[in-house]
Amino acid sequence: MKIGLEVHVALPTKSKLFCPCSLDDAEPNTNICPICMGFPGSKPMLNEAAVESALSIANALHCRINNSMSFVRKVYFYPDLPKCYQITQMDGAIGSGGYLDIDEKKVMIRRVQVEEDPAQIVREGLLTLLDFNRSGTPLVEIVTEPDIASEEELRAFIANLRSILYYIGVDINKEIKADLNVSCAETRVEVKNVTGIKSLIAALRYEVARQNALVKAGKEIARETRGYNEKKRITESLREKETEDEYGYMYEPDLTVFNISGMRYVPPVYVSKIAEELAKGSDMSPKTIKEMTMLDRNSLELITKLKGKYKMRSIIHAIQRYKKYNEDEPRQDTIEKMISLIDAGKLLAGDAVHAIKAGRSVSIEYARLNGPEIDRVILEFLKANPHVLSEYKKRSKTANLIIDKIAKAHGLHPKEVAERLALILKRHK
Amino acid sequence: MPSYIKEFLKAEKPEGYYEALVESLHKANREYNAFNVIDENVGQSGNAMPFSTKSNICVKGVETTAGSKMLKGYIPPFNATVVERLLDSGRFAFIGETNMDEFGFGTFGVNAALPARNAFDKNYVAGGSSSGAAVATAMLKYHVALAVSTGGSISAPAALNGVVGFTPTYGTVSRYGLIDYANSLDKIGVMARNSDDARIVFDAMRGGDGKDLTCAVGNIGSKKKKKLFVIEELDRYADKTVRANFSGLLDRLSAKYDIETRNIGALDVAVEAYYILAMAEASTNLARYDGYKYGLQLKDLATRYNEFFTEARANFGEEAKRRILLGTFIRSESVKAKYYTKAARIRAIIIKRMGELLKEGFIVSPAFPMQTPKISEVERLTPVQTYATDIFTVPPNLGGFPHITFPYHYQDGMPMGAQIIGEHANDYALIDFVGEWEGEFDYRYKHNIGSL
Ligand SMILES: [Zn+2]
Repeated sequence: MKIGLEVHVALPTKSKLFCPCSLDDAEPNTNICPICMGFPGSKPMLNEAAVESALSIANALHCRINNSMSFVRKVYFYPDLPKCYQITQMDGAIGSGGYLDIDEKKVMIRRVQVEEDPAQIVREGLLTLLDFNRSGTPLVEIVTEPDIASEEELRAFIANLRSILYYIGVDINKEIKADLNVSCAETRVEVKNVTGIKSLIAALRYEVARQNALVKAGKEIARETRGYNEKKRITESLREKETEDEYGYMYEPDLTVFNISGMRYVPPVYVSKIAEELAKGSDMSPKTIKEMTMLDRNSLELITKLKGKYKMRSIIHAIQRYKKYNEDEPRQDTIEKMISLIDAGKLLAGDAVHAIKAGRSVSIEYARLNGPEIDRVILEFLKANPHVLSEYKKRSKTANLIIDKIAKAHGLHPKEVAERLALILKRHK
Repeated sequence: MPSYIKEFLKAEKPEGYYEALVESLHKANREYNAFNVIDENVGQSGNAMPFSTKSNICVKGVETTAGSKMLKGYIPPFNATVVERLLDSGRFAFIGETNMDEFGFGTFGVNAALPARNAFDKNYVAGGSSSGAAVATAMLKYHVALAVSTGGSISAPAALNGVVGFTPTYGTVSRYGLIDYANSLDKIGVMARNSDDARIVFDAMRGGDGKDLTCAVGNIGSKKKKKLFVIEELDRYADKTVRANFSGLLDRLSAKYDIETRNIGALDVAVEAYYILAMAEASTNLARYDGYKYGLQLKDLATRYNEFFTEARANFGEEAKRRILLGTFIRSESVKAKYYTKAARIRAIIIKRMGELLKEGFIVSPAFPMQTPKISEVERLTPVQTYATDIFTVPPNLGGFPHITFPYHYQDGMPMGAQIIGEHANDYALIDFVGEWEGEFDYRYKHNIGSL
């Protein structure tokens, strides 16, 4: 099986690719000008922030980057395309011949190209409405070679790509948008405009099953473009595949050959590699560190700074604890205090974390209760919360919750509570 | 020769001057079709020299159609940079938009709803595609015209109407607001009654513009040359009368210049290369005209898009349709290498070889290979015969070299023009050349509308 992707990424710029129009949300057709409406006489300018962002992506994907780039006109007639050609890139693309590492494998990147988004088509009943606010939004299209061989690799590719984009500052809050090429046999089938990783996987599964069934039945797979129907979770034939011929690509003369040799770009961060380094000689696996930091710059920085000073397990644990009770990013001093408490054997609940964050002191002293006294506290709790017992019978992990709550409420050492609770629960079984 | 602009700005204008000017212009225009739009408010800019724009240069609030039915009713919401700069200078007042071949597609001015007529004899062609600009310049005493050249659309009509036609180096004048024909070839230039006026307008409109990335040539030189080159391979394209007269011109010029014959070796295929590149670009530029966004509006929006589109695009003129079809074919993947890529290579060779030669001297040639034809005569020409008449004007346009046309002789009452080509960014030297020529030559004009 060969899978290729064309991933479309909207660049995080304030204004459009070829004109100064804002990209903020606005009433339909208010962020428009003669350029993004394709008015006769208008000419494209070039948003350098978009170029820098695209350059960062191309560089992070190990692409060959020339001193200059150029654009092409891709001509096709559709109402959402104001000039009836899209300005995009081909041979003169900002980057080409790169790769992205997924675990043991390299997925080759054919091209990283800068292009403009068309207007948005809104269907309302019988009406087809056009919103040109979107027209001219800067996009980067990342075109892979058909090097992805399985669903797992597809997931890994997207996860790693998201991480690389995240560290460049390309907002990935929005769902990933991609065209998917799948060939189970000789014929390449393109599935257009799939949004979201879930749909991408579902489209892949459907397409693989469909193509394999055709092969099994001895039928031919048509070379075509299909769409993904999110409701039915199937791919559907859209039209016969246009050959590249019909787009009539031609060099875009208004943008000339654009010099990019002196332009700035954001250096890449490869979390997989960094996680390997951080895990070396530590008590944590690279996988855990990677998962934690793939889309979390602050955590990566904290771990990198604190590595060697504390046990990796404690660093990770402190950050996880902090994130459990807070929306914001932890400061280094907070995490360090938490680590010292954790290393002293204390289980830190929300109150304690908040106290540390606010700079208040947290007592390491526990209340001194003897065994029967602890038993009484536990029994009172179980009486007041009868449902926990039945829950415990279903999921033994519920015990941790009980320990947490009781220790917190009475300032007890969680270990002591755990020991007494174990005895009581044994009796209840 | 004194500048008409300076003379006009200094002169006392009688009461009601501009109103009378507009009235007589309307009257003449009914015969010559030089203008598509005459602005009645030309007098409201105070003491300012009237200037016209070719109908493919956007003027805010004024219907700008590029001579096409597809743009009927298109009122640009912005001024072209050149218009903005002329108006901002306070020395120029907009008088109207001039007639042209549809989208600039033509050599004679006849690809228009009502073709402009030659200012010397209305039975003859005005030349194209900036037909109206040339006729207007030959009719109005105090006026300058903004015209546009892609492959010779300034030189040809300027020569046929006996005015100065100046096409600057590609990239010196912003194209923002110019309705595109072929973006890598289009240049906005000037037509005027003498070289000084061409210089003043050029200075008022040239210079970098953030709205046009190709407008990047800043410093313009005036390097005088002692040599004039005649291109050997083009010699045979001129007809007998043109050749005889041109040789008379060379005799006169030889008093001041060394005249040498040289061979570039690629210029006899320049016209083919030019039309391939120009049509390819044009076919993409014309894609946007679909009958609902601006200009022509189809009434029924509820038809299927393909049919809607087909119906709308039937409104292009014949030459526009021809260039869309050929241009689209040329761009298709299966023949691209055969035509487009090869033409681009020829263009590169021409730029290199001409550029080298132009360092040593100017290239001089007739502006047009034949005597001005009658309107009835050009109707019988095939497209290829028409394209072939661009033989002298295409090479500098293909190379983006500055060139200027000036009248040098009157044959049977009709003007004949010659063309001087210079190296990139040496535009002033060409204007100086014509200034020098004017010292020994009397321009003749049949009309002097707006005389003081
Ligand atoms: Zn805009």
